[in-house]
Formats: sequence, C-alpha cells, structure tokens
Amino acid sequence: MRGEKNSITDVSGVRVGHLTFQRDLEGPSGDMIAARTGLTAVLPSLMEKELRFFFSTYALGAGLEITGFEVTEDFGYLNSPLVITNACNLGKAYNAALSYGFTLKRGEIWPPVIIGLNDSYLNEMDRECLEEEDILETFRRATDGKVEEGSVGAGTGLRALGAKGGIGTSSRRVIIGEEEYTCGVLAASHFGNAGGANGKPPTELTGEDEGALILVTAMDVPLLPHQLQRITRRLVARMDAAIPSESFSDEVLGATFTTANAMTISEEGPPEFEFRSVADHYLEVITAAACRAAEEAVVHSLLQARPVRGRSSRTLETISPERLAGIFKNHE
Amino acid sequence: MNRRDFIRTTLAGAAILPSASFPFSVPGLADEGGRKRLREIGIIIGDLAPGPFNAITDVRGVRVGHETIIKGQGRGAARTGVTVLLPHEGNIYEERLFASSFGLNGWGEMTGLAAIEETGLLATPIFLTGTYNVGIVQSAASAYLRKTNPRLGLSGGTVHPVVAECFDDFLSDTSSRPIFAKDVFTAIENAAGGPVAEGAVGGGTGMTSFGFKGGIGTSSRKTKSGFTVGVLVMTNTGGRDQLRIDGAPVGREIRGYEEAEKRTKSIILIAATDAPLLSYQLKKIAKRVALGLARVGAISGTGSGDIILAFSTANRVPRVPPGPVQDIRAVNDFLITPLYQATVEATQEAILNALTSAGTVVGKDGNTSYGIPLDQIERIMKKYRRLGE
Repeated sequence: MRGEKNSITDVSGVRVGHLTFQRDLEGPSGDMIAARTGLTAVLPSLMEKELRFFFSTYALGAGLEITGFEVTEDFGYLNSPLVITNACNLGKAYNAALSYGFTLKRGEIWPPVIIGLNDSYLNEMDRECLEEEDILETFRRATDGKVEEGSVGAGTGLRALGAKGGIGTSSRRVIIGEEEYTCGVLAASHFGNAGGANGKPPTELTGEDEGALILVTAMDVPLLPHQLQRITRRLVARMDAAIPSESFSDEVLGATFTTANAMTISEEGPPEFEFRSVADHYLEVITAAACRAAEEAVVHSLLQARPVRGRSSRTLETISPERLAGIFKNHE
Repeated sequence: MNRRDFIRTTLAGAAILPSASFPFSVPGLADEGGRKRLREIGIIIGDLAPGPFNAITDVRGVRVGHETIIKGQGRGAARTGVTVLLPHEGNIYEERLFASSFGLNGWGEMTGLAAIEETGLLATPIFLTGTYNVGIVQSAASAYLRKTNPRLGLSGGTVHPVVAECFDDFLSDTSSRPIFAKDVFTAIENAAGGPVAEGAVGGGTGMTSFGFKGGIGTSSRKTKSGFTVGVLVMTNTGGRDQLRIDGAPVGREIRGYEEAEKRTKSIILIAATDAPLLSYQLKKIAKRVALGLARVGAISGTGSGDIILAFSTANRVPRVPPGPVQDIRAVNDFLITPLYQATVEATQEAILNALTSAGTVVGKDGNTSYGIPLDQIERIMKKYRRLGE
C-alpha cells in the first residue's frame, strides 16, 4: 500500500527541495551556453535541531562522488541534507550545506552528503552555475508536501534510456508486528545511455554516457546501521538487475536513512543511547517495500519528465509509453 | 611425561623441553624456570588499570579454555592445540552478540567471518588453532553447536563457527593434523573464567613470534566509566628486530639468541567488551586493536594473516525474537575514545604477555623457539628508562 502522497515525504519529517537552473547564458565570445541543471535536496527533518540519523550507502559503482563517505562508512549516520546535483556544482552545494548549518545557529551540519552526477549531455557542465543563496533557499523552502517530479532540480538535465530522465518519488507502507511504518524513495534516473549492453563492450565511451540511478530511501522503521546496510545492498542489487541497462558506466547508488533512532549527540552526553531495532527477519519485508517504491519512483521520474532542449541543439523527449511498458516486470 | 603433565607444567610456567633429546646448550636458560607476565617484570603499558585477572575473562561471562597437544620429538613432532573462547555464559547460538571484524592483512583464515560481516552478529564460540587444523576444529565446533542446539541443521538453520588460525609449522608437523574432535570438546570443557593460561598453550603451543616463542596472551583494561575491554591473542607474527616494548627497541638489543623463525606468519586478535557497542562501533574497536599490534612493532607483512574480531557482551540479540522490535543500548560515539585507549593498551600487553609467558619449546626436527630472555628485557628496559633501577 502506498503512502498518502505516494512520496518520500510520507515519511514524517522528511522534506524535499528542488533548485532548477535552466537558462541560456551568454558565453565569453557572445555564443549561447545552455545551462540545464539543478539540485535536489532531501532533508531528513527540520534542521533546527541537531539530529543525526542512522544512514548507510552502497553502490554498484562507476565512481560517482558522494561526500561524507568516510563518516558514513565509519559512524553510520547522517547529519546533513542529502543533496543530488551535478558534479561541477558539488563543492558549492557542499559549502552551502555547511553555511546552512551555521545560519541555523545549531551545531554544525557536518559532513555534508552531496552526490554529484554528470548531466553533460544536455548541460554545459564545464562551469559552476548554482548560487549559494539559491541553494540555501532550496533547503529552507523544502516541503514535506507533494514533490515535483520529472525534469526538475537535479533531474533537469538527466537522460535515461535515450529519453528524458529526471526525479521521481513513491512510497510504501510496511507493517511489522502491530506497527505501521513508511518507506519512501526518491529516484534520480540517468541510466541506460551507453551502448554495449548484452555483453558487448561500448564502441565509444564519452563522459556524457556516465550514468546513474540514485535511490534515496527514507523510512521510519527502527533499524541499526548494519541493518540499513543490508537493506541498501539488496535494494541496489535488485534495482541494478531490474533496470534495462547492462553497462558498467551506470552506477546504482543507494543512500538509506531512518528517522527512527534519531539522536542528538555531543561530548556532554548522554553516555548511552537506547535504540530500537526490528528483528532481522523483517528486513525482507522492508526491502521489498523499498524495491516497489524505487521501481515506481523510477517510472514517475521518466513519465513526468517533460522534454528539454539543451546544449548543441539536443532535445530529449519524454519516454514513449511503449518503451516504458514492461521496464519492471514485477511492477504492479 | 604424558600430555596432561605437559599441560600442567606449561601452566606452571615451565618450558616444554624434552630434555633427553635436547641436543645443544641454550644460552640464558637460567631464567627458564620462572616465566612471568609483563607486569610481573614491572613493565606497565599505558595509563589505564587492568581488571582483576588482567585477562579477557575480566569481561564478565567470557570464558577461555585450552587443549594442548604435544606428541613425539624430532620428525613428525606435534606442538599444537586449540583455544576456545565462549563469549557469554548462555547459549551464544540462541543469544547472539554484536560483533565486527577488521582484516589488517588478509593472508589468513577466520571462518564464519562472512556471516558476521553480513549480520553484525556473533553466534558461535571462537576457536584458535593451527592452520591445517581448521577443518577438524570447524567440524567439531559444528558438532558441538548441533549437540547443544538440537534445532540446528533442521528448523534452526545453519551456523558458521568462528575458527581462526596461525601457521605453526616451525615447531609442529602441522600437515599431519594431530588434532581430534575430542580435543576440541576438551578445550570447551576446560573453558573457565578467571586467570587464563598463556604462552605455549592451546592454539598457541606451536607459535613463534618476534623471533621468540609466541602463543596465547591476554590482558584487560578498565575505563573510568567502569567498562572493561579484554584482548586475547594467538601470536605467530613479527620479526625479532621489530619488537618494541613501550617504545624501547627490545628486539634489536637482545644478545645471544638465534632468531628462531624469520618468516612472519599471522596473529589473531580477539577483543571483548562489556560496553554496549553496535557492530559499526565494534569495527572501530577492531581497528584500534591494529594500533596496539603496531605499537609492539609489527608491520603486518604480506604473509601475515592479521585478523581482528571484536564483540560486545552488553546487548543480546535472540535468534527467536520475543517481539518485532528490541531495545538496544549503545555508547555515545563522542564518548567512546576511552574504550579505544583501553583497546590499544590491552592489545599491546596481551601480545607481550604471550611472549614473556612462553618458555622455550623444541619441536619438529629439533626446531627451537626460545622463550624471550626476561633478564635481558629487564636490562634493556632499564637502559631505556622504562624500568626503575
């Protein structure tokens, strides 16, 4: 069963903000430069309180950047908005996340978790174009309501299966014992563009072909970091198998957090935390819910993606219903 | 002398010397009668105080048992055994503990590791033995677990005993695999809290470390918050010139002893704590164990299987959960550093206790691994002002 908004924002406290940057800029020699990019932020809660959330990432990778990686691996928690943007704007987004923490007069937001993709097929990616103030505004205005999908935010310049890619979201309810929980996924679809499927190498690999399926999963299920890791690995493996792409240049990256077991942590204490943890044999139920939500989020990301005309007069159209049909065989 | 007597004499701190066949004179044998733990020589590592036994058994519920196997002399001689660690006083298969591992250098075996890394849980006792004994010990461990858990293998699923090894071939005819299931069961029966026999005992019987006789060693530390960290090692690693005690280059300064075995061949290190830690936190404890290893001079060479396992006895995770959600305690990450200090200190002292406790052992083909000369350690530590006059 889906959540009320069928969105990652069905998980209580989770907010999403998009910054869409779609402009034709004048280049140094009077030529036109197409900027088709943006940023999407998932905020695990109101950032007024210094809360940390158990968090885990896993990638079947092509080498996408995800900052904060070492803290995630070693400490298993998130203390930042989770931001998807293009690789060129990553440093700016990182700095903006730090600034956001300082402006809130809370403890620091550190380390920022920023994922950088390559949207250079439609976007003139060789320059930084987002402004810090706009990124801050995106964090502030992030909504826990309905989330815009398709060619918005980080999805503006994305490309999937030769058509327009984008951002999509979906959610599922999970029943464990007497309790009902929610699991929501936000997907950034940018895969299936390189040749070389079916066991054949691509004839030519360019930067434009660097693909990604990014799955940000939020839930309110009481889980510990190693349990989030198990769920994330399975989710990534299943989605890697499910998408119609066999290319090593497509990365499937899962980034999963739970709002249960959130903590405010400092050297002043408390000395210990009391966490809650669901029994391991429910992990499958949770993973299945995450997979269904992820599949639907991908479908939304493609269906909702209006056509975008970008650099070098390239245009990506919305995927055809025929191409989309049967993309996930298991999908209801 | 039968095997039991050998064990008794080993426990009493004497050397394992088949005197009748001992072919040459050994310098410095004068101190062979009285092996000591590091602290008994007066050497103190670090700032924190050890628990009452200065052993991994200071973590309440942890029990250690040995079975030592000594057979024959010369060709085909066996100097091996098995050491078992029971992580708590209950049924570990039914009530599992958070655990994590760190492979500092992977050229070694610890079975059961994949399951621990996947589930974050330790569900079996931990066995330490010689390399080629692993299959037999794993099989016996599995039989023991099936016997104590009749559901196992049927409705209860499978279990993956933790069996770790070092290569004891310098002193033991290890390919003959002179160990039987009954030896493993005896080690389990021998398991007890309190003082732990160290040196050439159990799985450590045939081990050589830093050019001298190695084997089993243990130590513990208490933190100000009242938590205990205990470390148990089976050490077979390190070159003689590498050995450092409290920073002093002891290995380089020892005179007169021929380096027993120059190839570096593994160390297994187990850390236990009663501090409530989750598996990602125990991963960090396991990494600090590696720092303790480095401080006694090891460089973790390419042929060394340096595998570390850390577990916490504070939270028990039942295999059959009483409800869908369980309460779990965990130390605040920002207050965890004293546990790291405890880990680094206890690791150093555990390794050094293995060396100072182990007397000379003559094994296969007359190969001899000398007990490190304690009088020389004293002399060198005084020279470097780590010991009072």
